[in-house]
Amino acid sequence: MNGTKRQINAWTFVAPSLILTLIFGVYPVFWALKYMFYDYQGFGTPLFIGLDNFERLFRDKDFWQSVVNTFIYAGGKLIITIPLSFVLAVVLNRALKGRQLLRAIYFLPTVISASVMAIVFYVIFNSYNGMVNQLLMGAGIVSAPIDWLGAKHALVTAIIIAIWGAVGNYMLLFIAGLQNIPEDLYEAASLDGAGPLRKMWSITVPMLGPVLQMIIMLAITVSLKGYESIMVLTEGGPYGKTEVMYLYLYKLFFPVSSGGSSIQQFGYGSAVGFATAVIVGIITLIYFYVSKKLNDIY
Amino acid sequence: MASAQTSRSLKNKALLSRILLWIFLLIVAAFALFPIILAFFGSLKSNLELTTGTTLLPKEWIFDNYAQAWTSANFARFTWNSVFISTFTTLGTLLIGTMAAYAVARVDFYGKRLYVVIQSCTLFISIGAVVLRPQFDLMVSLNLQKSLWGVIIILISGHATAFFMLIGFVRAIPKELDEAAFIDGCNFYSVYFRVILPLLTPALGVTALWTFRGAWNEYILPLVFTMTQPGLQTLTVGLAGLKYGVGDAAQPQLMLAGACLSMLPMIIVYIFANKSFMQMTAGSVKG
Repeated sequence: MNGTKRQINAWTFVAPSLILTLIFGVYPVFWALKYMFYDYQGFGTPLFIGLDNFERLFRDKDFWQSVVNTFIYAGGKLIITIPLSFVLAVVLNRALKGRQLLRAIYFLPTVISASVMAIVFYVIFNSYNGMVNQLLMGAGIVSAPIDWLGAKHALVTAIIIAIWGAVGNYMLLFIAGLQNIPEDLYEAASLDGAGPLRKMWSITVPMLGPVLQMIIMLAITVSLKGYESIMVLTEGGPYGKTEVMYLYLYKLFFPVSSGGSSIQQFGYGSAVGFATAVIVGIITLIYFYVSKKLNDIY
Repeated sequence: MASAQTSRSLKNKALLSRILLWIFLLIVAAFALFPIILAFFGSLKSNLELTTGTTLLPKEWIFDNYAQAWTSANFARFTWNSVFISTFTTLGTLLIGTMAAYAVARVDFYGKRLYVVIQSCTLFISIGAVVLRPQFDLMVSLNLQKSLWGVIIILISGHATAFFMLIGFVRAIPKELDEAAFIDGCNFYSVYFRVILPLLTPALGVTALWTFRGAWNEYILPLVFTMTQPGLQTLTVGLAGLKYGVGDAAQPQLMLAGACLSMLPMIIVYIFANKSFMQMTAGSVKG
C-alpha cells in the first residue's frame, strides 16, 4: 500500500469532521477572545477599548449575584444528588428483586428534555393554581398555597428540578464503577469477619476513589453550566433570584423581552463569557487540588 | 431459649431494615415518576379542574386536549420539525463520526495527534452562550439562519462525543479483518463500507440513540434560530413558547398535553432500548 495515498485517504475521511469542528467549535472561541476587548453591539464598527469590559464586569452587581446564585444552585443540587445517587447505586448493585425495574425508573428522567420538564414543573409548581399546591392543600398539609416560583422559593424549586433530572445519571455512573470492583475482595473481607459497614468503608469507597473523583468533577462542571431549565422555568426571575452565570451571559447576546437587558452587547458578553469560563476553570482546579489532598490522606 | 430469642430478634431486625429499604426505594421511585404522572393526568383534565381540582385523576377524561394541542397549538408542525432535525443530525453525526473514527483508528496520518487534541478540547472547553452568537452569524453569512439546516449543521459539528464513543468500537474490530479484505482486493474506502460499517451496526445503534436524544431534547439552539420563524420551531421551543403565547397563556392543560406529546417518543424508545441507553451513559464520560 502506497504511503502517500494512505495519508490522503485518511485525511479525506477526517476532513469533514475537522472542518466542522474548526468552523463551529474553534472559531467561536477566538471570536469571543477578540471581542472581549471591544465595545461592540452587533452592528456598526467595533471599538477597541482594552480592558474596559473587565472593569465594568467587576462593578456589575447583577453578574456577581448570578455567580452567587450559580454556586447555591450547583451546591444545593450536588449535596443531595451525589450521596443519593451513590446510595441508590450501592443498593441496586446488590442482588435485589426488581432492581432492573428500579434502575429503569430512576434513569427515566434523564431521557426527557430539561426544557420540557421545566414546563411541566412550571405548571405543577405554579403558585396559585399549581397542582402541587392543590394536592398539598387537599391533603390538609398546608393551609395557604406556597409561592414555589416566587422570590423566596424559586431557587429551591429550580434545585429540586435539577436533582430530579440528575440522580439517575450519576446512579448509573456509580453502578458502572462498582461493577469494576473485584468480588473476591469482599469475599476475603468476609472471611476476615468484616461487616457490611466495614466493607463499605475499607473496600468500596477507596476502590471507587478515582471513579468518584471523576463523577464529582463532572457533576460540578455540568451543574455550573446548566441554565436551560431555569431559563424556561423563571428566566432568571423573580428579581434575578434565579439568575445563573450562563443565563446572564445568554441574555447579553440574545436579549429577551421580559426582564434583563434589552440591548445586545457582544463585546461585554464576550468578557462575561471569558470570566465565566475562568470561574468554572478555577473551581475545577481547586477541586483537583483538594481531591489530590484527599488521596494523600487515604 | 435465649439463643432462639436472639435469632428471632435478629430476624425481625433484618425484616425491619428490608422494609425501611423498600420504603426508601419506593419514595425515590415516586419522586422520579411523580412529575411524569402528574403531567399525564393533568393533560387530560379541563382547564378548570387543573387549576382548582384536588385529585390526581381527572374527573372527566378530556382527550380533546391532545387534538387541540396537535392542531391549534401547532404541535403537528413542531413534531415534524423535531423529527427532521433529529433524523438528519443523527445521520450526519454517524457518517462524520464513523469516517473520522475509522481513519484515526486505522491509519497513522500526519497531524493525527493534533486532530484528537482538538476534538477533546471541544469536549471540555465551553463558554456557553458566547459560541451561539458567532455560530449564528456564520449561518447568516451562509444564508442558512432561517432554515432548519443551520441548526442541523451546528448540531452535527458537535460530534466529539460520538467520535470518541465510535473510536472505541472501531478499535474493537480486529485489524486482521481489514488486512484480509485488502488481500481480497478491497481498498481504503471499500473496507470502510464492507467491513467496518457492517461490523459497527450495534455501536451505530447505540450512538444513534444517544445523538437522537440530544437533538430531540435540544432547546437553546433551535430557539435562537427560530426567534423570527415560528413555523420552524421544534417541540421543545414551541412548548416553552406556550408560556408566553397570546391565546394559550392561560391554558396549562394544553401545555401539559404538548409536554406529553414531546416526551412520549423518547419514553417509548427508552422502554424498548433502556439497556442501550444505560450502557451508553455508564460507558461515557459525559454527564
